[in-house]
Amino acid sequence: MNREVIARLRQVLEPPDVVEDETELLVYECDGLPLFKNRPDVVVFPRTTEQVAQVVRIANEFRIPFLPRGAGTGLSGGALAVEGGIVIELQPMNRILSIDVENRIAVVQPGVVNLHISQAAAPHGLYYAPDPSSQMSCSIGGNVAENSGGPHCLKYGMTTNHILAIEAVTATGEIIRLGNAAGEPIGMDLLGAIVGSEGTFAIVTEITIRLLPKPQAVKTLLAAFHSVEKCSQTVSDVIAAGIVPAALEMVDAKTIEAVEASVYKAGYPRDAVAALLIEVDGFREGLEETSSAIVEICRRNEAYDIRVAKDDDERAKLWLGRKGAFGAMGRLAPDMITMDAVIPRTRLPEVLVAIDRMSERYGLGVANVFHAGDGNLHPLILFDSRYPDQVDKIFAMSEDIMKLCVDVGGSLSGEHGIGYEKKDFMDLVFSDSELGTMMRVKQFFNPDGLLNPNKIFPSRRGCTEIGKHSTTSTAEIGKRVEAVLLGTPQTRSASAIARSLNEKVQH
Amino acid sequence: MTVDDVLPAKVVQPKSAEELSEFLSTEKGAIVPIGAGTQASFGNPLRRADCAVDLKSLSRITEYVPADLTIHVEAGVTLEQVEHTLLENNQFLPLDPWNGPTATMGGIAAANSQGPFRAVGTIRDWVIGMKVVEIDGRISKAGGRVVKNVTGYDLQKLYTGSLGTLAIITEISLKLRAKFARTATAIARFADVQSAAACIAVIRKSPLQPVSCEWFGPDNEVWLRFGEDPRAVDWQLKNLPAADWKVVEGPDEIAAWERLRSKFLALGPIVLRVIGLPTLVREIIEEYRPAAWVAHALNGIVLMQIESGTEVSRVRSKYRAVIEKAPLAVRREVATFGLNDSEYDLMKRMKHAFDPEGRLNPGRHVDGERNL
Repeated sequence: MNREVIARLRQVLEPPDVVEDETELLVYECDGLPLFKNRPDVVVFPRTTEQVAQVVRIANEFRIPFLPRGAGTGLSGGALAVEGGIVIELQPMNRILSIDVENRIAVVQPGVVNLHISQAAAPHGLYYAPDPSSQMSCSIGGNVAENSGGPHCLKYGMTTNHILAIEAVTATGEIIRLGNAAGEPIGMDLLGAIVGSEGTFAIVTEITIRLLPKPQAVKTLLAAFHSVEKCSQTVSDVIAAGIVPAALEMVDAKTIEAVEASVYKAGYPRDAVAALLIEVDGFREGLEETSSAIVEICRRNEAYDIRVAKDDDERAKLWLGRKGAFGAMGRLAPDMITMDAVIPRTRLPEVLVAIDRMSERYGLGVANVFHAGDGNLHPLILFDSRYPDQVDKIFAMSEDIMKLCVDVGGSLSGEHGIGYEKKDFMDLVFSDSELGTMMRVKQFFNPDGLLNPNKIFPSRRGCTEIGKHSTTSTAEIGKRVEAVLLGTPQTRSASAIARSLNEKVQH
Repeated sequence: MTVDDVLPAKVVQPKSAEELSEFLSTEKGAIVPIGAGTQASFGNPLRRADCAVDLKSLSRITEYVPADLTIHVEAGVTLEQVEHTLLENNQFLPLDPWNGPTATMGGIAAANSQGPFRAVGTIRDWVIGMKVVEIDGRISKAGGRVVKNVTGYDLQKLYTGSLGTLAIITEISLKLRAKFARTATAIARFADVQSAAACIAVIRKSPLQPVSCEWFGPDNEVWLRFGEDPRAVDWQLKNLPAADWKVVEGPDEIAAWERLRSKFLALGPIVLRVIGLPTLVREIIEEYRPAAWVAHALNGIVLMQIESGTEVSRVRSKYRAVIEKAPLAVRREVATFGLNDSEYDLMKRMKHAFDPEGRLNPGRHVDGERNL
């Protein structure tokens, strides 16, 4: 990194907040998706919005790519540094600025850990609803960037439904404020467009969020099935009965095997082919009856073991298995990747069968643990990264899974985002013309493409393998793809992009 | 058909997004998209229009999958049509724009129309995907057809509330919810602003969770709608704060809300949407002493009748405020949205990015906001 840049960064930040020591940088070479690694040149730790803006202005002045990062728990490589550049680590901005109990809102900095908000609000009987599995460590700023989900999104909505206003630093270093504490959209919803833009539109530096009153009562139950079909049918039947569960989660036999062999042992029936974890919450009155109605639906679908948690301890135990499932996979294989895809929930049985067949074909274990209620799949592919052929198979298999989900009317991601991982699958869902519209909006927010480059948009398979052995700089590739997507319909074809890229590569 | 006294020279009525795309790819004039026309007095005045695009022929429900709780409709489909379709499966969309169920889904999204169900969200919370035709004829979609999705940018949010100035919405995918197993509405009249406000403050701090909470003035009526499991509705009705509540259910309840809607429609001719906080609703009403109002009390929003355009700037010196409806003469004088500088700048540039020649619904949104 240019010494002048480092000197300038040290002028606006405390010197220890500018880190360029190679071993320290190792921590920042990937996020929660370690399949891709790229070490940044420098990591900065701003403490104020103004400092973030100054860093962004310096990066602009020297044309250096930069990106925000929270806790680094993202699973799509959204916080992967690209070709060096500056990582703006927002964890030091971790204060809960205010909790307005009467109006049920909180103002927080982006580095605040998701769960800490609910903990701080708990004495007032309030909580923050979106609960990604990583909620004990993920940051709210990252949640806003990714529009994160979680099991309880089924009833309460995604992050975007809970963000009322933001302060943000634009890609060119201006400080803007959007939205209002009443959450009332005024004209076109720019705030709504920024939430979920995966850190490519702006860096969010302050967030006003909606808090909800804690439900009076919660009921959690586990139902075990001998068949995936019956288990899936139960999901459909619960929805068809007009019940709006707070969460409706499915785990398969492989997941149960891993969980029961691990420290997350939750007493799930070991012989089950699939099991559902169902939670309903709300007013105390009527909840018992709703829970009984669900038990009845499970029975009708031949659930052979149904356990209704009697108290909070039993509830916590049932959830332990679900929430610990990812960690427990270490019992089955040294490495795992968490896929994320979404399908219409009515297509669950056939898709699960197809994934099972793929698992056999590729010789890679797959465990399924997912948000069945909204059709949000999480196949966990088990592998051993010491065998390069297994890594290659992972890429091939994840592509097959994506194609399968898109073919049944689904989409690439329900909650993890596209990031770096899935950008080359975007053209399974969107035409070049549609990507062109998205690119236009990206260029509007991020005119020079310096903010979090090479995410979301396809670099076109076969042309590039960034992070492995690229021959063209990623920035160059990004520019070329942009030019083609924004061009006339005649020049927008995939083959035109491939041609354009190949020309460059040969130089 | 005229819009804001502008009479487009021609009207086209495309039957599909493709037909609209074909038309727009050659048309060079200014375009005004038209739905049911229920929001004609909302927004900055239309400046010019060479051609009206009447969307009423985009009237198909393209797919309804009850088991997935999703419906996919063309923009010209009315809310009434959607409600009717959902009824057979006991499903519904908690949307009840003041201007009634004859509004089209495209229009509700474009104008972000709201009603008493504001307490449980606005259309942005239910839209999962959109198909639009851009000014150059490009057809593009955003979002998808599944209830949970973070694939690509949420451009459907941008189109929502943009009054058809970025692109013309041709199809909307929505997620649905199960119809409330029971609803009931409790209505009480209070002697004055103070006692109505005190009642609402108690509700706000209580475990009650009304799905609508409207405060109608000057009669100081508080309207609470509960929708849930029947037992939970009962429990909430039993735990209302002390007042002379009249509870209505079934057809009486529907009729009652129709009456409130007529009361809203009678407000005016100028209605201002003042955006505060739940705890500020009383202060807003006391400070401006409107002749009549409807407040979404749990959302901190007051829809109030004001007597002249000049009063808008008085309110805006303290609160964000949007002109909900006003005669053309007033909208010519006073900006509808009252955008602050950074919003104005961003939105203006966004408009330019989608419509560089300013041909799509010229003047209606950000491009009519300043230098009127």
